[in-house]
Parts: sequence; C-alpha cells; structure tokens
Amino acid sequence: MAIQGEKNQIAVEFQNFKKRFGTKLVHRDVSFQVRKGECLGLLGGSGAGKSVILRSLIGLEKPDEGQILVDGEDITKMGERDLIEIRKKVAYVFQNGALFDSMSVYENLAYPLRAHTKLNEREIADRVHEQLDEFGLAGNEKIFPANLSGGMQKRVGLARSIILQPKIVLYDEPTAGLDPYNTIRIQEMILRLKSKGVTAIFVTHDMPSVFAVCDRIALLLEGKVSAIGTREELERAPEGKLGRFVTGQEL
Amino acid sequence: MSGQPQVQRPLHDFAVSFGEKMLAFTRALGGAGLLMHQVLRELFRRPLHVRLLAEQVYFIGVQSLGLIFITSLSTGMVMALQFGLGLEKFGGKLYVPKIVSLSILREMGPVFCSLMLAARIGAGIASEIGSMTVTQQIDAIRALGTSPIKRIVLPRVLGCFIAVPLLCAMGNFFGILGSLIVGVTELGLDPLFYYQKVLATCTITDYVTGIGKTFFFALFISVTACYFGLNVRGGTQGVGSATTRAVVTSSVMILVGDFFLTKLFFILLEK
Repeated sequence: MAIQGEKNQIAVEFQNFKKRFGTKLVHRDVSFQVRKGECLGLLGGSGAGKSVILRSLIGLEKPDEGQILVDGEDITKMGERDLIEIRKKVAYVFQNGALFDSMSVYENLAYPLRAHTKLNEREIADRVHEQLDEFGLAGNEKIFPANLSGGMQKRVGLARSIILQPKIVLYDEPTAGLDPYNTIRIQEMILRLKSKGVTAIFVTHDMPSVFAVCDRIALLLEGKVSAIGTREELERAPEGKLGRFVTGQEL
Repeated sequence: MSGQPQVQRPLHDFAVSFGEKMLAFTRALGGAGLLMHQVLRELFRRPLHVRLLAEQVYFIGVQSLGLIFITSLSTGMVMALQFGLGLEKFGGKLYVPKIVSLSILREMGPVFCSLMLAARIGAGIASEIGSMTVTQQIDAIRALGTSPIKRIVLPRVLGCFIAVPLLCAMGNFFGILGSLIVGVTELGLDPLFYYQKVLATCTITDYVTGIGKTFFFALFISVTACYFGLNVRGGTQGVGSATTRAVVTSSVMILVGDFFLTKLFFILLEK
C-alpha cells in the first residue's frame, strides 16, 4: 500500500532511457523521477542531451531503449494520436518560444484552445485576454512574433504553452539570453504555476534561476544522471559532482 | 609529410558519388511516399481546415496566374513562329494551328506549366516548411497536440491538387492564344481559319490526356516539397539546400513521370 501510494506521487519517471543519434550515444542509461508538484532542475554541459530528455517526454523523440512514465503511463509505445492526450497535460516551453510567425500573438494563444476545447470565439477571446493580462502582455494581441522582443516572445511562448492548464510543464532554457528584468518575470511565472501544484522540469544553465525555482537539481553527465539532490544537499557537499559543476570546476 | 602519394581513382569516386546521389533520391522517393500515405490517412479524419485550404488555393492558384500567363503565351508564340517558319519552306504553313494546338494540349502546356509551378510553388512550400522546421514551429504544432500533416501538409497538397490542373487548363488557353496571335500577325493566317482548325483538330481525349497528368504532377510538386521542408537539417543553410532539392526532384519526377503517364493515358483512352 505504501509503495502504491508512493507511486501515485510520481508525475514523471525515466527508466533506463537510452538514446543514440547516428553513431553518437547521447544517453546510455538515464533514470530519475519527478514527484507531483515538484520542480526539478536538469543541469548538464552543452550537448549533454538535456533537451532530448524533454523532447522525449512529449514524444517528439523516441528512445532506443527504456521507458518514460507520465502519471504511470508508458508513453514510449504510443503513436501520434495517443500522444495527443499526453501533450494536453504536458506542456513544452521552447527555448525561443517557437511562436507561429504567420499568426499574431492573439492567434498564437487561441491556437491550442481552438484545437482542444469546445469554447466559442467569445470565450476564447476572454481566456486569451486573461492569459495575456496575467503575463503582463495586454495590448500586444495584434502584434506578430517578429515584432516582439526576445523576452516577450518567451513570455508569449510560455503563455501559449500553459493556456490549456497542463499538469506538467517542461521548460527548455526559458531564461537564456534574457535581461535581469525578463529573467525575474519568467521566474515569477514559474513560481506562480508551481504554487498551483504544476510539476516541472527546468532545463537551464542559469544557476540563480535554478536556485529560485527548483526543489531538486539533477546533473546529466556522460549519458547518465550522475547526481541528484536538493539545494541544501548540494550546499552540504560542495565538492560533490553537482557542487563542482555549479561552481564551474572540472568534473 | 612522409605519407604515400594519394592514388587517383576517378572511376571509383564517380561510382561512389553516383551511388550516394541515387540513394538520396531513392530515400526521398520513399519518404515522399510515406508522407503521401499519412496525408491520405489525415484526409478522411475530421476536422478539415477549409480556411487553410482556401489560403493555399489562393497562394498557389491566384498568385501563380501571372507566371502561367506569361510562360504559356510565350511558349505558344514561339512554337507557332518556329513551326510556321519551318513549314513555310514546304508549303505546310496551314498545318501550324493543328500541330501547335495538339502539342500544347497533350504535352507542352501541362509539362511546361507544371515545371514552372514546381519552381514557384515547390520552392515556396519547401522553404516555408523548412523555416518552420528549423525554428521549431513544426515541433510546437506537435507539442500542442496537433498534427503538422493536417495543419501544414494536407492544405498544401490539396491546394496544389486543385490549383495546378486549373492553372494548366488556363495555360493551354493562353498558349493557343499566343500561337493564334503569331499565326495571324507573323504568318498571315486568317484568325477564323486558325480558330476553326484548332477546334476541328483537338478532341476531348487530347485535352484529358494533358490535364489528367497534371493531377499527378501536382502531387509530385507538393508532396516532394513538403517532405524536403519537414526534413530540413542544419539551420538556414539546410533550408536553402532543401529548397533546391525539392525543385530538382519534383522537376525530374515530372519529366520522367510524363513518359509513363502518357503511356498510361494512351492505354486507357486511346486503345
């Protein structure tokens, strides 16, 4: 009973995940869990395959071996149609926003609502305006992505990703290249979602943001999760792999 | 420094390069075939995005009208001039309306128009989808629980399927019009005689043989362009090379496919 209860608390689980691109083995054996409502920071050097982990979690990449469980359901065997239900509850926040450049900000935010809800146009408009207000983007409805600043594109991307109120959010370097003001705005938004019980995996190289929003931190090294722990555990063992990575020492 | 001198093996290098190109071409054909299968599957699943389809018919059809007008009119004019000046020596000038109209309806109109459209539409589709791929917009469509085949590929394929045959039909008209203009102004033929000769010569079979092929050409252009666009690798440089490959592959498919389709229509309609 206790084990079953513990399993129910797991939102995401990677089991012996292996992924190869051509001759390059990116992940040799990745295993970790993320608890419901938790925000896990995923660190690793450039090219360590952090984004591949996130992409695999919504079926944009297929693992060569291993399992990925989302709410206890293995998604690795699912086809595109089955993955639609997973993609409704797992949102992906792309590094550059990945906004549809042929659509205005309003149309970008309305896109998931039109695709997955039965809301009429009036209700969609209310929902979009509400979301834009919450993200400090009111008044930008008619602007096209090319005319937005990098920070605004990321905020619109985040607003679009979570408009369907997902249970899990995957952040792919959401603060990369942003000024301190926009970085703090993004952190606040992530914390706001966290306070609503949303589970998150946060891929980044931005350590202040990791410390601001993450409950635990995992280090991806040589195709494995080589260290995982809370910030306190990290501070208690500064000479550990995680501590050395964070302080920029050779591993 | 002390390495052995490199052995020149031109035949080997040629064989390797040729083999690689053939493999890439075969892979593209297979990939486009699989994409076509997915398109057919999505075609029968709701919803069909009519607005997206209308946009594509406008982009592919209406915006290509000028190109088709100029290409077809010039082709018809040149053909009339060449045949007219050539046949005049043998007293065969009166056969110009017959020869030109038949050539345009059966071959030149559909093939020329399709090649021009392969360049314009194929390049447009491949570069647009390629840019969406490298900027992760295609991934975003999937990540938001929607299908890029349904949203991006299907409207373009259907748009081509509707617009290309219509454009080629207009191309036939403009081509014959061009030949008539030259026939009257340069060759001194009577316009009514020219018009009546065209009507008396061309049958519905000639027309169907030509236009029937363009439905296949439309698929060659659109599916190939979508395939190369979706499979772009390597950033903006990749978009450029995917665009080139899409145009070259669809043009080759049109020219090679034309032979087999002509044979097919001959068996179906004329035997």
